[in-house]
Amino acid sequence: MSATREPPSALKEPVLDMAAREALAELLLGVADDEFVIGFWDSEWTGIAPMLEEDVATSSIAQDEIGHARALYELLADLTDDDADRIAFGREPDAYRHAALLNHARGDWAFSVARRWLYESADAVRLTALASSSWEPLAQLATKMRREETYHRLHADAWLRRLADAAPDVRGRLSGALTRLWPDAQDVFAPLATEEELVRGGYLPEPMRALHASWQHAALPVLELITGSLPAAEPSIDGRTRRTEDFAWLHGQFTMVARSEEGASW
Amino acid sequence: MTERVWEVFRQEDEGDPMIHSGNVNAADEELAMHYAREMYGRRGESHRLWIVARDAITELDDPDLLKPPFDRSHKKPGGYIIKHKLEAAKARAGSEAGE
Repeated sequence: MSATREPPSALKEPVLDMAAREALAELLLGVADDEFVIGFWDSEWTGIAPMLEEDVATSSIAQDEIGHARALYELLADLTDDDADRIAFGREPDAYRHAALLNHARGDWAFSVARRWLYESADAVRLTALASSSWEPLAQLATKMRREETYHRLHADAWLRRLADAAPDVRGRLSGALTRLWPDAQDVFAPLATEEELVRGGYLPEPMRALHASWQHAALPVLELITGSLPAAEPSIDGRTRRTEDFAWLHGQFTMVARSEEGASW
Repeated sequence: MTERVWEVFRQEDEGDPMIHSGNVNAADEELAMHYAREMYGRRGESHRLWIVARDAITELDDPDLLKPPFDRSHKKPGGYIIKHKLEAAKARAGSEAGE
């Protein structure tokens, strides 16, 4: 991640105090890790997606997500005087802060479509909020990301509808995956330790519980047409800290090259 | 899922001709649009794409119509030598304009 880029935009902004920086760092890390981890999970489809065209599409979307993660890690690195590569590849599995939704292995195609749809729909609500963040560099980046995420959502919608309208066995797999992922999907909106500071400063324009309610309001009617009634679910306090064996495996994969020659420039 | 073939035409910049780029397989128009975008537009190389179901295209490839057996040289401009006539016409126009 050493390509040329503009001078750290954070420096052009009014100076943030320590508490604000800490809060923004927590917020950025969660969003960045979400994009990073789903990008790696979905890139597991490269070469084996249901058809060639879909293979290219899925791989390209996965790459887009890694690109978003990169931009977010760079923003975070500017803010905390760190290095984007180190943040992305230099942490132990326990230090990642993605939502529990992204702890699961790729699964079958229906499972990946189910997760992608849950994530994209939640991410859309979050990005809309971040686009009006009082911290301009984040607002700008979120606005830019939304342009690409709109297309990702259309793609996820297209597949969700197709699998939902397919033969009972396919529909059953989709429904099963959505039901299984439903509790962990809430955790895209898991509360943050610094949330009070984030909301007070307008860095996060609405608290997570409000974003969560908007997402459920929009997503539930679509999901319940497929799954039938879903249990009441709320984000959990450890929604961004609990980790799984699946993720430990993925972590081993995506840090493999970086670990092979520490500090090398690519 | 029954796949259909969709032909993709690409325009590089506004006003450029739409040029046939290739095709994609897709179950329907919506996925065809996604795949065309990935195959022919993901690097920012396209200003516009046209995505057309191959079975919606009327094809004409009958040699009796396109390559008729009789001499067609009289339908080509090369069959006429108009160089001298053209020069004379130009000269006439020039002299008239000069008067």
